[in-house]
Amino acid sequence: MSSKNVNTELKTRKLNETLLQNLVTLGILVLISVIITALIPRFLTYTNINNVLLQISLIIIVGSGITLLMISGNFDLSVGGVLALAGVLFAFLSRAGVPTFFALILSVIFGSLMGALNGTLVVNLKISPIIVTLGTMYITRGLALIFANGSMISSGLPGDFRKLSNTYFGPMSLVIMIVIAVVIIFIFIQSKTNLGQYAFFIGSNRETARLSGINIGRTVSILYILVGTLAGLSGVILASKLGTGDSSVGDGFEFDVIVAAVIGGTSVAGGKGSISGMVLGAMILGVLNNSLNLLGVASYYQLVIKGLVLIGAIVLQRYIVEKFS
Amino acid sequence: MSENILEVRNLTKNFPGVVALDNINLDIKKGVTHCIVGENGAGKSTFIKIITGALSKTEGSIIYSGQEYNPRSISEAMKNGMSTLYQELNVVEQLTVEQNLNLGKEKHILSFMKKSEQDLKAIEILKAIEPRIDIKQLVANLSTAQRQILEIARAIATDAKVIIMDEPTAAITEEETKKLFKVIENLKEKNVTIIYISHRLSDIFEIGDYVSVFRDGKLIATKAISEISSSLELVKMMIGKIVTESYIPNEVNYNKKVLQVKELNDTKLKDISFDLFEGEIIGFYGLVGAGKTEIAKAIYGLRDSKGAIIIGDRTRKINTPEKAIKSGIAMVPEERRTEGLFTELTVRDNIPVMNMQKVSRFGIRSKRKEALIARDFIKKLKIVTPSEEKKVALLSGGNQQKVVIAKCLNAESRILLLDEPTRGVDVGAKEEIHNLIRNLAKQKVSVIIFSSELQEILILCDRIFTMFNGSLKAVFKNGTEDISYKILHTALVGES
Repeated sequence: MSSKNVNTELKTRKLNETLLQNLVTLGILVLISVIITALIPRFLTYTNINNVLLQISLIIIVGSGITLLMISGNFDLSVGGVLALAGVLFAFLSRAGVPTFFALILSVIFGSLMGALNGTLVVNLKISPIIVTLGTMYITRGLALIFANGSMISSGLPGDFRKLSNTYFGPMSLVIMIVIAVVIIFIFIQSKTNLGQYAFFIGSNRETARLSGINIGRTVSILYILVGTLAGLSGVILASKLGTGDSSVGDGFEFDVIVAAVIGGTSVAGGKGSISGMVLGAMILGVLNNSLNLLGVASYYQLVIKGLVLIGAIVLQRYIVEKFS
Repeated sequence: MSENILEVRNLTKNFPGVVALDNINLDIKKGVTHCIVGENGAGKSTFIKIITGALSKTEGSIIYSGQEYNPRSISEAMKNGMSTLYQELNVVEQLTVEQNLNLGKEKHILSFMKKSEQDLKAIEILKAIEPRIDIKQLVANLSTAQRQILEIARAIATDAKVIIMDEPTAAITEEETKKLFKVIENLKEKNVTIIYISHRLSDIFEIGDYVSVFRDGKLIATKAISEISSSLELVKMMIGKIVTESYIPNEVNYNKKVLQVKELNDTKLKDISFDLFEGEIIGFYGLVGAGKTEIAKAIYGLRDSKGAIIIGDRTRKINTPEKAIKSGIAMVPEERRTEGLFTELTVRDNIPVMNMQKVSRFGIRSKRKEALIARDFIKKLKIVTPSEEKKVALLSGGNQQKVVIAKCLNAESRILLLDEPTRGVDVGAKEEIHNLIRNLAKQKVSVIIFSSELQEILILCDRIFTMFNGSLKAVFKNGTEDISYKILHTALVGES
């Protein structure tokens, strides 16, 4: 059989499950959007859509890494803390006179180091990922408060501190370009590299992966480092956008990220998931938040509605995927 | 003579396509220890499951204490005084000994407040058997033997007339075994009947009064232990006539040692040493728990063992499967679903896993290459699947096993460790796998088979090692004479 033949057949089959999953998620997204547009026509304006995209950009950046990590059967609850700490560190270093670009790079690298710490604790000390990252969540949150003196670093920052977030190329902001680049890179890692495939192997059966000679420790460590790096990157983007290093940002961020991945079809137990699904999941989250705001729903009610929609979305998805695949 | 507690007449059990029990006629006398022996798959478990209500019979009748007996569930059998001591003990670790004794007997929701007569009886019995067990301590702190005694006490308290013991000495020490045997003697004095299932022939000679031999679903014979002259006689009854015609010697290059294992020692293994030549197939035979799997795991870097492993002429330190594979060793593990396969992934995902370099460059995969390799193996190994994109979970057992073997072949190893390579595989696939193994040997691959199926070892292996209790007991060269009884004898008794 010719290789071209193999390729096309491969594609048609591979589409099945992931595509169906994504179609359902997309359907839910469109459904919510149509309802909202009917209620508030203003929803579908360029400014508003751009607004939604900016709001979910950080979720998508970190979610790209978290999805791979969750596919491998691991977890990271410290991303909110790392995000806050990296932002505070960025402001702290900039105020101390470190050139903004270097401060930025150092803060992102700091995120990588936190990822390496998580990875080392999970792999070498064999502590459950939830416990380890819950611990580092407290540690990073605490350190952010310490560096920011209990609140935020907002004065004495250099003029180019906000440059990262207000650079535009035509109508496209640099941040949106970073988001797109991260998504493309991580979809590539997920589907085209050994690292991505190892994540699937480890998540679907750890023992088989070990007996097949896969270095589980190295793979999982790399995934944690990637997640930490992305959390650091998100932290500096947010600090740049706010113009401050705020120690209180990113509260509950870790859950938004996990929820986006889960709505997108990523299994909490590992072995299953897709970054494209996570992007759609993040969009559902963003649209929901945005529309509830536009509708002027009081924030207490917003939480209740969000919870209901999330559970409903997952139940509906599972029903449809099971029925048709 | 004493009366029969159990009279089994023309008992037959059919499973779809298989006769598991074929016209069994068996009397078991009251107050004796009646042993049941047979190879794996001989029908022992099916027989026990029927008399304990876990399975229903197809035909025949069972008379128990003089009455027609047809238990529909395990609890019904227990109410009638038929208790079973399973290999997996049925105790709750988080409760105390006392609470365990009373478990499941609370007649009233408040009855745990007040001890019933029966509960007190169970405690009395336990104290009589083993006064050293503190009834206030958690079961989690007890040894396996102590837990067994706890279960026995529970059984006696419910007025068990028959206690069935399934491999009770498999997981306990020699000293504990002695204590258990004493308990069994006491039970007999109380006119309780013991049905004792074991692979350990020495146990049977020590405490058995009668023995029934099962083979291929048939009852071969029931004899008093005193009538049996030696364990070899028992072994012969167990395996009958062995067909060894299909053994074909492999073309072994005796000038080239590919593997030398020297004095492997760990918590389970004792002084294991052997050599493997190029193109040779050797086999390890022994009972469950004899240490076969442990040898495979030790060579594959999964056990913390002392000793040397020399591959070719170089000593290798292998402490992970990753290193084993790099040294040219691949293993087909015992449990294919939990250790050998990613059942939720496709055949194409599974086959390349042990050798990703072959399908990737600089860490970037080529799914096209993966598909080509998978298709190649599907064709070569006759794996029945509509395409390489099928989830492995959806294949039959035999085809799943072929996928595991394909994984190992793709690793291009010179040494293959096959742990129970045809367990749970249908007859057709089994023969195909056997032919495949022979063909590998022709291509100068050396193979080690770890199997509890003697037939398989006898038709494939050039040399056969028998294991007992973690040590190598004997080596046999295949093809010279009828060695089957000797092999079985050393494996079952531990001496030749």
